[in-house]
Amino acid sequence: MEKLLQVNDLRKYFPIQKGILQRTVGYVKAVDGISFDVNRGETLGLVGESGCGKTTAGRCLLRLIPPTSGSFIFGEEQVDLAKLTHREMQPFRKRIQMIFQDPHASLNPRMTVADIVGEPMRVNRTEKGTALQDRIVELLESVGLKAQDMRRYPHAFSGGQRQRIGIARALALQPELIVADEPVSALDVSVQAQILNLLAELREEFNLSYIFIAHDLSVVEHISDRVAVMYLGKIVEISDAETLYESPKHPYTEALISAVPLPDPNAQRKREHIRLEGDVPDPSQPPTGCYFHPRCRYATDVCKQETPELREVSQGVQVACHHSDTLELQGV
Amino acid sequence: MALTQETSYQEPLLEISGLKTVFPTDDGIVNAVNDVSFSIARGQTVGVVGESGCGKSITGLSLLQLVPSPGRIEAGEILFYRNSDANPLDIVQVPPKSDLIRQIRGNEIAIIFQEPMTSLNPVYTVGDQIAEAVALHEQVDKKIARERAIEMLVRVGIPAPSQRVDEYPHQLSGGMRQRVMIAMALCCSPSLLIADEPTTALDVTIQAQVLGLMQELQAEIGMAIMLITHDLGVIADLADEVVVMYAGRVVERGTVDDIFYNPLHPYTQGLLKSIPVLGRTVQKTLPSIPGTVPHPLALPTGCSFQPRCPERIPECEQMPELEIINGNGDNDTHVVRCWLHADS
Repeated sequence: MEKLLQVNDLRKYFPIQKGILQRTVGYVKAVDGISFDVNRGETLGLVGESGCGKTTAGRCLLRLIPPTSGSFIFGEEQVDLAKLTHREMQPFRKRIQMIFQDPHASLNPRMTVADIVGEPMRVNRTEKGTALQDRIVELLESVGLKAQDMRRYPHAFSGGQRQRIGIARALALQPELIVADEPVSALDVSVQAQILNLLAELREEFNLSYIFIAHDLSVVEHISDRVAVMYLGKIVEISDAETLYESPKHPYTEALISAVPLPDPNAQRKREHIRLEGDVPDPSQPPTGCYFHPRCRYATDVCKQETPELREVSQGVQVACHHSDTLELQGV
Repeated sequence: MALTQETSYQEPLLEISGLKTVFPTDDGIVNAVNDVSFSIARGQTVGVVGESGCGKSITGLSLLQLVPSPGRIEAGEILFYRNSDANPLDIVQVPPKSDLIRQIRGNEIAIIFQEPMTSLNPVYTVGDQIAEAVALHEQVDKKIARERAIEMLVRVGIPAPSQRVDEYPHQLSGGMRQRVMIAMALCCSPSLLIADEPTTALDVTIQAQVLGLMQELQAEIGMAIMLITHDLGVIADLADEVVVMYAGRVVERGTVDDIFYNPLHPYTQGLLKSIPVLGRTVQKTLPSIPGTVPHPLALPTGCSFQPRCPERIPECEQMPELEIINGNGDNDTHVVRCWLHADS
């Protein structure tokens, strides 16, 4: 399979500054050395709780915020996006687009739908005049909106329809990779399914790849081919979606799966519930050793001292746990 | 779920019938809650589920006469059995600013909201805020109220409670804040807790902690819970009975098993099918409900779900009544508002 993106050891540290001199007194390690690949036509799910760095990772990939270190090798040309200057980055921006969480905040209320969807093409001078208008209509129709909607403003649309406008905008420049940051979490249950189906259809139609960032495991499992689980800035487990949910290899993944209430009362009564103690630690003062050890029920002394590396335990399954070979963890 | 010796299951606590809450606006009257009826037994957990705008939160607020202006309860009754032998009190008849409703609020019926940051006062310590609720309903001095606050923090599982009691809400994490809200709500041992999306703003592992805590405290105090949420997983986990609402009305009501294993209303069926279930739905097309929730000022004629319904028949132009599928009038276990089940 062709690799579209290879991320190596991506780090993003935010300095903590104090005093009138704004001296740096520490760092919040929002993303602390993550590596993964995205193949062409594939959806990689990035899942984790708030503060685990999944959104920061997504934004770094688009260079919306500068990464502290790491490389992202992109496309057939094998260009390292992290090293490019602002100007050199320009042609690549067309090829990587983003869909945002909140469809109310990510559309300018004073622009019509035609302006919003047409803006990427105007900025990049890819289309103009009637060709632009035709392209806007085509895009709106591909996301399930109507041509007459283009004269209306975002406020006239419901949440699901607004998310469709955001998707049409992301598709405008025929990107190869779309980073979707919590695209369905602001939507109602019945509308969520529509948008998930639309994203799946568009992927087939335009041969897109997605990095799908979300906190909802069931949604991530549904849409992703492979899933990476993040905890406190690190990837703790990465494997294909089905394997991950059926036989998790990291205790955190197991706990996450167990915490999701199943919409099935009998199954829910029968399940063993693993309840994690405490909260996610402060990322500016992470625990020693394995970041998860204070909440892990399998933790031993080695977990307190040594940071486990992400290593391949079987074909396509990578885990960062000292005990992954001996643990028998339960899935769904 | 929670059964203690002194509370029997079928003993009613709250009976809501024909509740109608309206909001007059410049463009017309919005019937936010329209002819809603259900009851809550002592110690029982009733889940109210629906999408945004279906009236589930306003139903919860109506029970405490907390409907924000210009909204008002227009019709119906909310019978509250304050203690098992006395006659019930109709909350609809109690004025929203009366002393009587203030005695009930927080003391007998407590409420917790979705966003714990906005429901806590940022300029008071959490201890002061819990102690305020204690002092308001019980004749105790400041010192005892503070001790009670610490005791409550212990019960909701907050580490180092004697330090936390003097902290401000911004010093706590989201899960801790929601625990403080629960502590505040439960400090007077209410007979009913209205939990309006109590875990929606929390992460899954924290949600599991908070839901577990609510179940434990429910067993301890023997209170009933009215759980308002859009998350069917949370409902399956906690609820004994489920009320499904759509566009201000109850479309289906039944035991949790009825709703999940024998849903009758096309909306309930659609809702259950459209959610991705962990471990079951990898890479398949989800059956989705077409269209969107109608605007409250432009409800379709007849059944509100009719334009989105896959099983629409000509009768749907008329509003169907709630039909009893299972039960005997006094004890309806499964009711549905749909023409497809009109003669069964």
